[in-house]
Amino acid sequence: MKLFFKDHMSLFMLQIVQMITIVSLLLLAGFRDWHLLLYSFLLFSFFLGFYLTYYYVTRRQFFKQLTMRMEEHDDVIRQMDHTPISRQLGETLTRQYSLYKQEIASLQKDKEDHFIFIDRWIHQMKTPLSVLELMAQDLDEPQSSHFREEIDRLKTGLHMVLYMARLRTIESDFHIKKVDVAEVLHEVKRDNKRLFIQHRMFPNVYIQESTFVETDEKWLYFILTQLIQNAVKYTDGRSDQMDVRIKEEAERTTISVQDYGVGIPSHDLKRIFDPFYTGDNGRKFRESTGVGLYLVKEVCSYLGHDIQVESEVDRGTTFTLIVPN
Amino acid sequence: MQKILIVEDDERLAHYLSSHVEKYGYRVKKVADFSKVLDTFIAYEPHLVLLDINLPMYDGFYWCRQIRQRSTCPVIFISARTGEMDQIMALENGGDDFLTKPFSPDIVLAKVRSHLRRAYGEYAAIVTERVVEQAGLKLYVERLELHYGSNEVALTKNEATIMELLLERYPRITGRTDLLEKLWDDETFVDENTLNVNIARVRKKLVELGVADGIETVRGVGYRLQLP
Repeated sequence: MKLFFKDHMSLFMLQIVQMITIVSLLLLAGFRDWHLLLYSFLLFSFFLGFYLTYYYVTRRQFFKQLTMRMEEHDDVIRQMDHTPISRQLGETLTRQYSLYKQEIASLQKDKEDHFIFIDRWIHQMKTPLSVLELMAQDLDEPQSSHFREEIDRLKTGLHMVLYMARLRTIESDFHIKKVDVAEVLHEVKRDNKRLFIQHRMFPNVYIQESTFVETDEKWLYFILTQLIQNAVKYTDGRSDQMDVRIKEEAERTTISVQDYGVGIPSHDLKRIFDPFYTGDNGRKFRESTGVGLYLVKEVCSYLGHDIQVESEVDRGTTFTLIVPN
Repeated sequence: MQKILIVEDDERLAHYLSSHVEKYGYRVKKVADFSKVLDTFIAYEPHLVLLDINLPMYDGFYWCRQIRQRSTCPVIFISARTGEMDQIMALENGGDDFLTKPFSPDIVLAKVRSHLRRAYGEYAAIVTERVVEQAGLKLYVERLELHYGSNEVALTKNEATIMELLLERYPRITGRTDLLEKLWDDETFVDENTLNVNIARVRKKLVELGVADGIETVRGVGYRLQLP
């Protein structure tokens, strides 16, 4: 309605100017019959009103379409009025809609193909890695250790890519159930034994026998692996300790991973969860990709968990994962 | 001697896997013709099968079902797939366990051993008691005994673990990291000092057996067994 009036403002003005011109012309010519003047004024308004009403009624959909608030792509497709301009608008919008639709579909297909390719490729790489790992057994030290360390790096990298790819399909890929944090932590600790030994670190885990949280086991494993591997990496030999604490509170369970290493400068702290952001520490350390923590954050938001960080340069960093009960 | 059948189409993986398993005293056969996996199985009568899922012709699930119609022998699937669905498929098609690539050599062995024990009992395991031997030095792994000639000494669990690794690696160097990793059980962290103490004890016991200077320290790398 509003748009309709705005659109016809110029017509109103034109009519008023016309009316005033004609009336003043008649007045100047000496015409003094007020009744006739009023009558013609009413007639004038009547035709204008009639025209506008007719116009509006036949183009109601047209104006509705123009002013509606679009929430979804499908909102564009509506039954239109039968006036030429309405029909034309309807056709144009439908055409545009189907063009976009096609483009989106082909992009989605590309994305899916890409995902399948990445997924296949990662799995294909696992056979050669297994072979290398077995071959490394037959080498002498220190080559054998070096060999296996490089394999571990490859494995970590592959896993990162796999999880990155999986994040896209996370909606269909996560299963929330009761998970024993102690058990998952145990697994993470065991799978990173070599890393701890290489860095001469002792992870202290403060936990009761079993603490259950509602989460996805695979992604919890991923998150804890990331936090613990980061803690080892950024301790940088300054301490041989790191602490993992689990606290059960009334409304939530928190899992914190504390290291006593280099810490994160305060100007980087806000951005560490941004994709590909590596900050000051990233320039000093090898293999900071800026992907790990980004993935952690994304996964947390999917799972409805929260992740917090506190850090002081040269004192260390504490990451806290908060899982609501 | 227990027999293991390896069904893996990556030749090199099959090769290294079989030589790794053979080192621990199992007889191994690799399937060569992947259209006749069942025939090979019937002819060889293995005690355990390591079965890859992605195979030419038919997949591992198919062969597992075929095997299951004739035998209850343990089947461990090998696959690069880590999804829950694949693991469920493996178990539903009659598999007993699942190994995901890339696997560590230790895990393969641990799974093989535990399934053999479960399927054929402790008795079978004792009959094929594990002995690691190099140049006359024999370690009875389960009994925690070390024999040399007519002498023998008892070892603690940690000492036996160290000795086992040293013997397996002989004549190559054993890395410190590997020793620590083996010693580190899940509860208590084993530090460098514990390793040093245990190495010293093993040295002493080797002297008791009549092997002087049995363990050479390679600085910054690890230890090497030196046998006469």
